Amino acid sequence: MAERKVTVAAEVGLHARPAATFVQTAVKAPMDITVSKGVSGQPVNGKSILQILGLDVRQGEDIVIKAEGEGADEVLDALAAIAGTP
Amino acid sequence: MTTVLAPVEGVAVGLSAVPDPVFSAGMVGPGTAIDPAREPGKAVAPITGKIMKLHPHAYVIVGDDGKGVLVHLGIDTVQLKGKGFELLAAEGDRVRAGQPVVAWDPAAIEAGGRSPVCPVVALDAPTGAVTAMAGGPVHAGDELFLWD
Repeated sequence: MAERKVTVAAEVGLHARPAATFVQTAVKAPMDITVSKGVSGQPVNGKSILQILGLDVRQGEDIVIKAEGEGADEVLDALAAIAGTP
Repeated sequence: MTTVLAPVEGVAVGLSAVPDPVFSAGMVGPGTAIDPAREPGKAVAPITGKIMKLHPHAYVIVGDDGKGVLVHLGIDTVQLKGKGFELLAAEGDRVRAGQPVVAWDPAAIEAGGRSPVCPVVALDAPTGAVTAMAGGPVHAGDELFLWD
């Protein structure tokens, strides 16, 4: 299982535009993607805009993104870049 | 089948009319948008369910079947940090379709230089799942679209 910890940089947090971009990228990945708020948060489905909005991640908060399998590192790098973009 | 109600009074204009590419391209999900009447009003719950997220400028209601509908009151209105919005319910509340959730004034949003147009989006729905889209004038609580 590969993972990335990233601080959400967008002013609006992981909502609206960043959330939609994140999920659009995640759904293209062949493997499951999970996202949790902080290191100990409950993981949710990274391909669900409903669940990502429900996480309610604000600017400056950390998320942990996890994926497993071939290509996981590339997918995680792309998702981490989206979440880390101001 | 979920019947999604118009959260505000105005004119149903479709997502393509939303001046934000994330909504207009359907990236958040399928649905429509309402260009609201420019008078103080109360935005209502589009479906019966639980208020999963309640921000002054946007809310998500999740029905008992797990379907979530996002109502966004105006574009870039997160920047207002709640100014001009009054919450009429609380996050976690159960609401009935048509029950008031947020009071706001679209004319004031527009006067502040932002679009008051309201996307109403079926979250995690495939594009074809949303049908019977209303067009033209709608009142808050009118049927807006159906979600299979």
